[in-house]
Amino acid sequence: MKPVVMAGAGMIPFERRDDDTLIDMLAEAGLRAMDDAGLGDQPVDAVYVGNMASGLFNHQVSVASALVDKLSLYPAAAERIENGPASGGSAIKHGYQAIASGMADVVLVVGGEKMREVIGPRATDVVACMAQPEAEYIYGVSLPALAGMFARLYMKAYGITPEHLAQVAIKNHANGLLNPYAHIRARVTLEGILTHPDSKVGNPIVADPLRLYDCCPVSDGAAAVLLTTPEIAKKLSAKPAITVAGIGQATDTHALHERADPTDLKAVTIAAQKAFEMAGCKPADVDVAELHDAFTILEIAESEHAGFFKKGEGAKALAAGETQIGGKLPINPSGGLKARGHPVGATGVAQAVELVWQLRGEAGERQVKNAQTGFSLNFGGFGNNVVALVLRREK
Amino acid sequence: MITAYKCKSCGQIMYPYHYRCINCGGREFESFVPSTKAKLLTYTVIEQLPWGFDERGRVLGVVEFSNKVRAMGLIDIDADTEEINIGMKLTATWEPVRDTYGEKIYGLVFRPA
Repeated sequence: MKPVVMAGAGMIPFERRDDDTLIDMLAEAGLRAMDDAGLGDQPVDAVYVGNMASGLFNHQVSVASALVDKLSLYPAAAERIENGPASGGSAIKHGYQAIASGMADVVLVVGGEKMREVIGPRATDVVACMAQPEAEYIYGVSLPALAGMFARLYMKAYGITPEHLAQVAIKNHANGLLNPYAHIRARVTLEGILTHPDSKVGNPIVADPLRLYDCCPVSDGAAAVLLTTPEIAKKLSAKPAITVAGIGQATDTHALHERADPTDLKAVTIAAQKAFEMAGCKPADVDVAELHDAFTILEIAESEHAGFFKKGEGAKALAAGETQIGGKLPINPSGGLKARGHPVGATGVAQAVELVWQLRGEAGERQVKNAQTGFSLNFGGFGNNVVALVLRREK
Repeated sequence: MITAYKCKSCGQIMYPYHYRCINCGGREFESFVPSTKAKLLTYTVIEQLPWGFDERGRVLGVVEFSNKVRAMGLIDIDADTEEINIGMKLTATWEPVRDTYGEKIYGLVFRPA
């Protein structure tokens, strides 16, 4: 396979964007990645759009064709890639494959979702559609509910406390304050969300044991990367080349109850292992990680399943400050899904955008010092389709 | 009641139906109905339900039946006033679990045994 680099990265601030259509958001993010790469008149061969549910949220389908039209990128090939909340990661994978195989030289990957077009319970229902229809969805299960059932078991098995979960939220919101693209930019304290008697009012239960501040917000947003060959990237701009070093993907049972050990996120373990194997490196080589903290418990569980910490050690590392910016392994310097927001189809691409900025040294106040290898994990369904990515700044 | 499946090649028990066994890929299954006795493996109390539910405090859980079938279902307990514990014994019934445009959708409902 031919080497592939991320020559451009860009995103729009995640927030509630009432004035933009989904296609406007995709176009704006796409342009930012094209301009960041210095693409100029170089044609784009293919466009991949990571998007979960434009049909349900926005009553619009064929959104990749619509994006090509909005950006006048004809006759570029165009497809929408749908893999639930891992649609963005999957879209990057398809873009990688197109260039690595030699079928394309320049690929624009855009992830986006406009979720706030519908009211909260509708959005909860659209997201819940990814659950097993006859064995899960009919009962009124939501993704927070699946995460709640998982959290109850995982916390018990590994001695994780509500304080640990709150620490994930506090850390990621503190990072989000440093990220101008983050949806929720507010300082969160332990008193405010856990220990003060009034904290239960501002931080109510969503799906026990998970509270509001254990869950990501519902956001609108889009992010984009431009993939190409190292030769073309060099001609386009003088920015450091960020190599797509490894991609791994794995699946698991649709229904949570069918997993022999429901606390074992096998697809996370396998996807991460595959990505590291392809990149020829190991978890200890990673300088910065963007994990899929749709729920606080997931950041801890993923940090263990991806191989950064032993099972039961992730919460200890968090409590010791090892995962803060400046710690041994900064996790979610962007603020993660918790603070940046989680427009589902955008997330996997937004994670890659953050890594590109971190590896280039362009992350401003939230910069992880001298980051050379970055890792991201995009968690689809409730862990039934996971995409892991290793990016590297070449010396 | 739900139908569960036992793989004729390896004995793996499955619910819901898969065209190939999740353990060995086998394609022949013996179908059976779970017992009515189950124990609770995990649960959650949902305060923010999806569109279509006009309620709060709905309890969902994952159970294991005495004949090893596992499933999710509605736990008919008031979490504010009644005890709920992992490992508690439950009795299963087949009852409406949601209303969709006036149509009753049936599913598993569990109550303390």
